[in-house]
Amino acid sequence: MKILVSLKRVADPDNANKIKVTPQKIETTGLEFKPNPFDEYAVETALRLTENAANTKQRLGEVTVVTFGPKEAESTLRAALATGADKAIRVDATDDALDGDLVARALAKLIETEKPDLVLLGKQEVEGDANQVAQLLAEYLGWPQATFAGSIKSEGDTALLVGREIDGGTMNLRVTLPAVVSVDLRIVAPRSVQSVHTKADHAYPEGVRFAALMAIMAAKKKSLTEVKLTDLTGDVGLKIKYTGFEPPPARKAGVKVKSVSELVEKLKTEAKVL
Amino acid sequence: MSKPIQAINRYKADLRDFQFLLFEQFKVGELLGKGVFEAWDAEQVNVSLAECYRWTREVAGPLNAPADAEGCKLVDGRVITPKGFKEAWKSLYEAGWKSIGIAPEHGGAGSPVSVQILVEEMLSGANTAFNMYSGLAFGASEVIASFGTTDQQHLYCARMFGGEWGGTMCLTEPHAGSDVGSAKTTARLNADGTYSIKGTKIYISGGDHDLASNVIHLVLARVDGAPAGTKGLTLFIVPRVRTSGDGTLGADNDVTVAALEHKMGINGSATCVLNFGDNDACIGVPVGGDSELNKGMPQMFKMMNGARIAVGVQGIGVASSAYLNALEYARDRKQGASITHWKDATAPRVSIIEHADVRRMLLDMKSRVEGIRALVVKLTSHIDRLTFAKDDAEAAYHQGQVDLLVPLVKAYGTDQAFRVCETAIQTYGGAGYTRDYPVEQYCRDCKIFSIYEGTNHIQAMDLVGRKLGQAGGANLQAFLGDIAKFVAAHKDHAKLGASVRALGGAQEALGGSALKLLMWFQTGNMAAVPLYATRFLEMMSEIAVAWMLLDAAIIADTKLQTVEPGHPDKAFYEGKLFSAMYYARSVLPAAELKARQMNDEDKSPLEISDAAFATV
Ligand SMILES: Cc1cc2nc3c(=O)[nH]c(=O)nc-3n(C[C@H](O)[C@H](O)[C@H](O)COP(=O)(O)OP(=O)(O)OC[C@H]3O[C@@H](n4cnc5c(N)ncnc54)[C@H](O)[C@@H]3O)c2cc1C
Repeated sequence: MKILVSLKRVADPDNANKIKVTPQKIETTGLEFKPNPFDEYAVETALRLTENAANTKQRLGEVTVVTFGPKEAESTLRAALATGADKAIRVDATDDALDGDLVARALAKLIETEKPDLVLLGKQEVEGDANQVAQLLAEYLGWPQATFAGSIKSEGDTALLVGREIDGGTMNLRVTLPAVVSVDLRIVAPRSVQSVHTKADHAYPEGVRFAALMAIMAAKKKSLTEVKLTDLTGDVGLKIKYTGFEPPPARKAGVKVKSVSELVEKLKTEAKVL
Repeated sequence: MSKPIQAINRYKADLRDFQFLLFEQFKVGELLGKGVFEAWDAEQVNVSLAECYRWTREVAGPLNAPADAEGCKLVDGRVITPKGFKEAWKSLYEAGWKSIGIAPEHGGAGSPVSVQILVEEMLSGANTAFNMYSGLAFGASEVIASFGTTDQQHLYCARMFGGEWGGTMCLTEPHAGSDVGSAKTTARLNADGTYSIKGTKIYISGGDHDLASNVIHLVLARVDGAPAGTKGLTLFIVPRVRTSGDGTLGADNDVTVAALEHKMGINGSATCVLNFGDNDACIGVPVGGDSELNKGMPQMFKMMNGARIAVGVQGIGVASSAYLNALEYARDRKQGASITHWKDATAPRVSIIEHADVRRMLLDMKSRVEGIRALVVKLTSHIDRLTFAKDDAEAAYHQGQVDLLVPLVKAYGTDQAFRVCETAIQTYGGAGYTRDYPVEQYCRDCKIFSIYEGTNHIQAMDLVGRKLGQAGGANLQAFLGDIAKFVAAHKDHAKLGASVRALGGAQEALGGSALKLLMWFQTGNMAAVPLYATRFLEMMSEIAVAWMLLDAAIIADTKLQTVEPGHPDKAFYEGKLFSAMYYARSVLPAAELKARQMNDEDKSPLEISDAAFATV
């Protein structure tokens, strides 16, 4: 199976340096970046679908990771190559010249030439939390989609049985390939992904795999190509217009209430939630 | 009910400092992509360090406190390691962190030693006890890689470097600790050319365990009829389970675990009493074959540099995490008001990091940790430059500095590590003494480092007795000369000039003290040498560390001119300046004090009678 995974770097929430916001933009100088967690889960899912867990050194499929970003974002791609992805593509762009729609359109074009059987994405990126690209992409491609996957079972690599996380339970959806799937946190539980290669009772370690040293060394030799955004789409216009930036308002100090009745009173009159 | 011991990671490392040392101060980056480091580039180094850090925090780190509480067990003659160690062992070797510095022909990645040593810092710092097992296997395998026959290398090295089999170093016996030469374990030649081994070894780390399918012991023993003392010792390969040439496991080799020690720290590491040949059925062969009989000590000596550096690095790994944890606590814990409001009982409570004495302890720990780590990387960068030396003289210079600095890194590194851990507990106050926080365990784990692999006094004797006079004193001369050049270049530095000049003064005092030692040797005043050896080592270390910190600070000061205001590097570089200034002004003066003590030649400890120590 050929799988394409989109991968984005995001500002590390543990940044010692606080993010600075000016009315025109968000300052990224000096920030540390890490891969978007949901995208890392998507890479892990792709790897599990294209290997036999008993011998992960032998690849039984192809995983291509794609990012939209500046040259520095290549280290995020290299890290994915080091965990086992087979090749990488960087679409040269900066965050402020992108929105979900443009990313989806450019990805759709890239997919025409890459011809994957499956596109895997994180359900959302943790900076903007927009949760749009997978849905838009499926629409532009005219492919079936399954979002918020908490489990995936490959059926002979021609269809997937996807357990979607929905309010109050799981919705099981069978999608025929090629398809677009976005993944949720539970996809990296030990038995969430069942490929056609790995024994059904295999339990993976919880979470995303470690990059092994030898794979880090080998990653340098794997292909990492650069593509211009304008080579993928003539229309680089944005549907989202940024009108200004401001930090979230500081939280007001709380008040201590003396009694339950006072609390109820305040919830009624001040918070107006009762 | 007592509180549960939590399986959460407490380990912290300072990766920015690692990068500073590799790429800014010692410029190991220059060597990447060239010669033996052809396969490496800077990004791979950084990704490796970051991924290894992630591994230590997610796998080894969370096991540190529970393994300390649980300890090892001896069940039916076999050692059971603490819960989780087996899975962690498998994960460690899958990830490959133990092979980063191993040559590619033995299945490693062949990184610079400077990178390997920082990986080791993380592995040891996150879980000292766990890393003992793989550390000993690594050391034993290195011995076989260096001195073994081709067949022995073929049989053992890849398996031991790769975690399939463990390994140990069996030197110590009940009556042979520091005095290795009095070892009594014997080896008798059998008709088939193998040897029967018989004797007892004590305090053997990882002497048995359940992490690998076999344990390969390297045992110092005396062949019947060999000379007394170290000259008659041979190093034998003694597997726990006999193996055939293709690695198939066979019969039990009559190595038994007689007991496990109860001890102060590294409780997850099994410290064993081992009996060899209780049933006269323990077979061994000399490392390197019969041509290497009686060469056990020279073989050990060649490997000693690596092992001693590794122990110094165990110290810095634990001490660094102790410091970083204490720092986090000091930022968080609110207690007392600022001294500026000392009369006002209603003044707001402040974080303890605002109190002067807490700041003093923090900067004291920071400067020691960073300074010793810099000394370690200086040492390893000399090793890394060895293969690039353009002629014999340059190679001799690098090797000479390595030999000279090893006892400093081992002894000063581990002595200070213990003090840093103790200061970390003091920084916490009562919380630091409890098991809610990691520093009390760090302090207990850390104490062994100054004792094994040659006690720190043995290191001091190695320095004054062997290293100072090596190459006719040329190594020490080169060391003093390098400092003199540094002082000449920077003595008028706007911010650091005074501290650099203080270093110059201390360097001269060090030269004087070295001459004093020489004079004692020449005039037969031998008793004074061991009496002052430990102090001389400490003095030389303080000077070396001050030099390293000042060198770093001068680089940092230059970088500060161009760093963007909001960038975290600004604080990092400022920190480097303060580490250097504090150490130069608050620690370095102790070096000259030791020179004065040596001139004074106080011999009270020798003159006092045994009876006068106490009359109880
Ligand atoms: C937890 C632990 C793990 C260990 N692991 C191993 C291992 O894996 N393999 C192994 O072989 N050994 C191991 N050892 C043993 C360790 O290397 C020895 O304890 C160490 O070499 C000191 O020997 P000793 O304990 O007999 O002390 P001694 O040699 O009796 O020393 C006692 C004191 O006397 C001093 N002293 C001794 N001789 C002299 C001298 N000539 N001049 C001046 N002062 C002297 C020492 O510095 C020390 O202060 C381990 C020990 C421990 C506690």
